[in-house]
Amino acid sequence: MIITSLLQVKHRDHTGLHMRELTMSVKSLDVIVEGRRSQPQQLIEVLQDVQDLCGYIPRESMITVSKELGVPLIEVYRVASFYKAFSLVPSGKHVITVCLGTACHVRGARRMVDQVAGQLGVSPGGTTSDGLFTVECVNCLGACALGPVVVLDGVYYDKMTPRKLSRLIDSVRAADSEGRANA
Amino acid sequence: MPRLAAIEDLEHLHASLAADRERAGTSIIVCGGPGCQAAGCGAVVEALQAELRGEGLAETVHVRVTGCHGFCEQGPIMLIEPGNIFYCHLKPADVPEIVSTTLCDGEVVDRLLYTDPVSGNKVRTESEIPFYRLQDRTLLALNRQVDSSSITDYIAIGGYSALAKVLREYGPEEVIREITRSGLRGRGGGGFPTGRKWAACRAAPGDEKYLICNADEGDPGAYMDRSILEGNPHLVIEGMLIGAWAIGAEQGYIYVRNEYPLAVERARAAVARAREFGLLGDGILGSSLRFDVEVARGGGAFVCGESTALMASLEGKVGEPRAKDVHTVVEGLWNKPTTLNNVETWANIPLILRRGAKWFAEKGTKGSKGTKIFYLTGQVKNTGLVEVAMGTPLRTIVFDIGGGPSDGAAIKAVQTGGPSGGCLPVDQFDLPVDFDALAEAGSMVGSGGMVVMDERTCMVDVAKYFLTFLQDESCGKCVPCRLGIDRMLEIITDITEGRGRHEQLDLLEELADTVRETSLCALGKTAPNPVLSTLRYFREEYEAHITERRCPAGVCRALIEYVIDPDRCVGCGSCLRACPQAAITGEKKLPHTIDPSACGRCGICLSECDYGAIVLK
Amino acid sequence: MQNYVTLTIDGAPVRASRADSVLDVAIEYGICIPHLCHVPTISDLGACRLCIVEHVQNGRSKVTTSCTLRVQEDMVIRTNTDKIRKLRRNIAELLVAEAPNSRAVQDIALRCGVKQVRYPFRNKTCTLCGRCVRLCAELWGARAIGFVGRGKDRRVDFPFGVRPDFCKECNSCIDLCPMTITPCDGPMKTGEERLCGKCEGQLLMNENFPDFCVWCALGEGFGCARHA
Ligand SMILES: Cc1cc2nc3c(=O)[nH]c(=O)nc-3n(C[C@H](O)[C@H](O)[C@H](O)COP(=O)(O)O)c2cc1C
Ligand code: SF4
Ligand code: SF4
Ligand code: FES
Ligand code: FES
Repeated sequence: MIITSLLQVKHRDHTGLHMRELTMSVKSLDVIVEGRRSQPQQLIEVLQDVQDLCGYIPRESMITVSKELGVPLIEVYRVASFYKAFSLVPSGKHVITVCLGTACHVRGARRMVDQVAGQLGVSPGGTTSDGLFTVECVNCLGACALGPVVVLDGVYYDKMTPRKLSRLIDSVRAADSEGRANA
Repeated sequence: MPRLAAIEDLEHLHASLAADRERAGTSIIVCGGPGCQAAGCGAVVEALQAELRGEGLAETVHVRVTGCHGFCEQGPIMLIEPGNIFYCHLKPADVPEIVSTTLCDGEVVDRLLYTDPVSGNKVRTESEIPFYRLQDRTLLALNRQVDSSSITDYIAIGGYSALAKVLREYGPEEVIREITRSGLRGRGGGGFPTGRKWAACRAAPGDEKYLICNADEGDPGAYMDRSILEGNPHLVIEGMLIGAWAIGAEQGYIYVRNEYPLAVERARAAVARAREFGLLGDGILGSSLRFDVEVARGGGAFVCGESTALMASLEGKVGEPRAKDVHTVVEGLWNKPTTLNNVETWANIPLILRRGAKWFAEKGTKGSKGTKIFYLTGQVKNTGLVEVAMGTPLRTIVFDIGGGPSDGAAIKAVQTGGPSGGCLPVDQFDLPVDFDALAEAGSMVGSGGMVVMDERTCMVDVAKYFLTFLQDESCGKCVPCRLGIDRMLEIITDITEGRGRHEQLDLLEELADTVRETSLCALGKTAPNPVLSTLRYFREEYEAHITERRCPAGVCRALIEYVIDPDRCVGCGSCLRACPQAAITGEKKLPHTIDPSACGRCGICLSECDYGAIVLK
Repeated sequence: MQNYVTLTIDGAPVRASRADSVLDVAIEYGICIPHLCHVPTISDLGACRLCIVEHVQNGRSKVTTSCTLRVQEDMVIRTNTDKIRKLRRNIAELLVAEAPNSRAVQDIALRCGVKQVRYPFRNKTCTLCGRCVRLCAELWGARAIGFVGRGKDRRVDFPFGVRPDFCKECNSCIDLCPMTITPCDGPMKTGEERLCGKCEGQLLMNENFPDFCVWCALGEGFGCARHA
């Protein structure tokens, strides 16, 4: 199968701390599977690439991957549903990730979840009804000295407070509606 | 760079690189670890390079961006050698002053120096900072000597010389004997003697064997392994090469946690460079050794740190543990003999072989040798990566290196070992960090997380936090872990929400015991530790929740209430604007009130009020 | 290599083929070790943990599941110690609190000595024993169903929750399911959550459970390995 639609792709640049958005039009799944056909052990790597490409694992891609790698479909579905790196539903335009690792937790990270939940009306794992924000929680990003850490679209925000977070969300919203007004 | 075809080539290269280093004048070392990066060290480096070019110093001053130095909270950090001058909390705007004052005039910039939070004094050099001074930085110290993306930096400081020594002087058995004699025990949590593991894997029947480096670093809130793998990946690769020689493996894997994309990238780049130099591949350094390494990215599952789950994951499957009645050193990856070690374990190997087992065994206690890296965090003044000799008392780490409580409140406990570990109260702080001593006290060294907690932490809530984590991360395969953790969490939730009953404490203990004894893998077997250790040392907190329906630390949301003191409230409205639940009402300039039924008890308003009008009841 | 080994189970020396699991051998010799996820002829998962035994090695005993433990020469196994009984009872209690409507699970709970369930009941429809999953994959090679999700979200499902064409609805999965084959009279009603005890008659209701097989009706429905 070929994904030909325009896809918003997130790529990490060399620092790993910022992602820039690339727009690609690709026969991407072919490219991803190329060289890994009939190699069941490549399943996770392939799904990682699909996730990076699409932001989630579309159902059709699982069917293709199952055929191409020679892994039973149930196993593909199982792997995709087991690991946190994979999402089975598309995420919102902006992804807010709140770290709830121990270091961030002891510095009050739970309040960030309260803030997001109150402000956007979604609990972790959810997407706002306008599709603008998806809220996720993660257990440690390895930047614990900066806790509480919140990541918005790949950019790390350190020593977060509910107030900073609320402003951040507002600014993203404002930028988005401006962008739409101009479009 | 040509391939290093023989040991002599490596030695020549080392000699010339080391001489270059000797000749170099000033070097500026900027930490490029995860903490400093997020704090903006990239911009500082750019500003520095531009400034040096502008001043015509680009040729004479050597700038090195390295892996984590450990004092992340102070980032971005800079170290100027010679002189050992230490600057912290840098901004790009500080750079011109550093160049003109320190580099040109040889003076220090006072305002950029570190202030000791205990004494309030400015500290000039890094070695005088208590946080660093009291550590025994063996592995971490190497981080700052190398630019992590540079194999030549690593060779310049003697890298791969342990491999050369082994290839020249030691047979596989001798390597294993040396490791056994050093007393090295696994740094991944279990503390299994590394020499014994290697010997068993070497002895296991079969020609095809595998090595794995466990960089899954599942402990939430710690990043020791990340700092080594990102900061000094060649050290890990050299360790694995020595392991390959000793065990007879031809293929190795580094399994890196999904959340560490930079570590994946660095490790992949290092592997590629090592291949270019002929340090991975066929006939390494002209010997018969043949070994290659692949870097795999995890899928984001804590349980994949467990050996059998990790191997299943490497095979492209779901990371579910299997029964280990046959050990993985006999039947591991692809059912072949496999040696799995933690990043820090592998990183210790080259040092042991370079300096000798005796050097390593001199540090530490009877049963635990060498140094161990911890991530100290929580309610202490200094947080960061701390490397100490095994056997160092907890008190030294928390009070001397950590500088004691962060703001006045008395320290109550330290949680070690991550989700599988336990909480130790202050009266146990004379315990040394030692695998056996901590295990006996109901906690463990674990991978090295160390969270300091003061009076404002509720121990029942801590147990609940870890149970929630483990419930989320259990693979769900076996009954005691899946249902047992779930039920323990149910009971603890009852307690924190004021529905607790006394007999539930006995049930909790009995259940914890069942989960520990009968779970399939070590995730389940250690899952009760946070519960058991808090029950053991802080039972009175559980009792207060049950009998008095009160949370002594004021944390458990169902048992607390935020109210506004009308006498103090000036009606400024900051709380009203901050409340995410819109639970606060009031006219401007008049006392506000909180609607307890709408209040989510997050406490955001309390931190927003400048007049101390919001009180916790 | 020798094909037979001698081991001791509950003090009795027994001979067994090297490929056997301790559970297989115990059942063969009439020693009853309760089990749920084990089904003869298909692979063992070690999920229910009911078949735990003490494996004594160098004077130390280790609790482990007998279905995944291969026999070894001179192995010493204890299947019925106080410790094992207590642990087994606690596991069975967890299971029955989860799926109180299943006759099979009720039987197991009673067999393991559960007299009282100290957790609130939840009416789950699956114990996640994985009998169906392994049967579908191993006996028929169909792989129409599998475990999906992780931890508390783990469940048995078709790919994307849709029955694939290649599932021929042979229903053998249902035949082996402890939840469906011997359902009790009716779903427990909220507020009446208790073990009805209709199955009690099948068991010796004293404190000392026999450590030999009594041909309890436990397995008739969903297939204790002894009945296979
Ligand atoms: C649930 C679980 C998670 C684990 N996570 C890690 C981990 O993140 N990193 C690690 O090195 N070891 C981890 N371990 C321990 C490994 O299974 C294994 O014992 C270790 O990597 C062996 O290496 P060592 O002997 O060098 O310590 C984990 C174990 C369990 C049971
Ligand atoms: S103990 Fe937990 S994580 Fe380990 S196999 Fe059992 S359910 Fe899975
Ligand atoms: S559906 Fe039945 S057989 Fe399948 S796992 Fe659930 S309880 Fe076991
Ligand atoms: S705990 Fe949040 S980054 Fe580590
Ligand atoms: S664990 Fe052995 S029968 Fe279920």
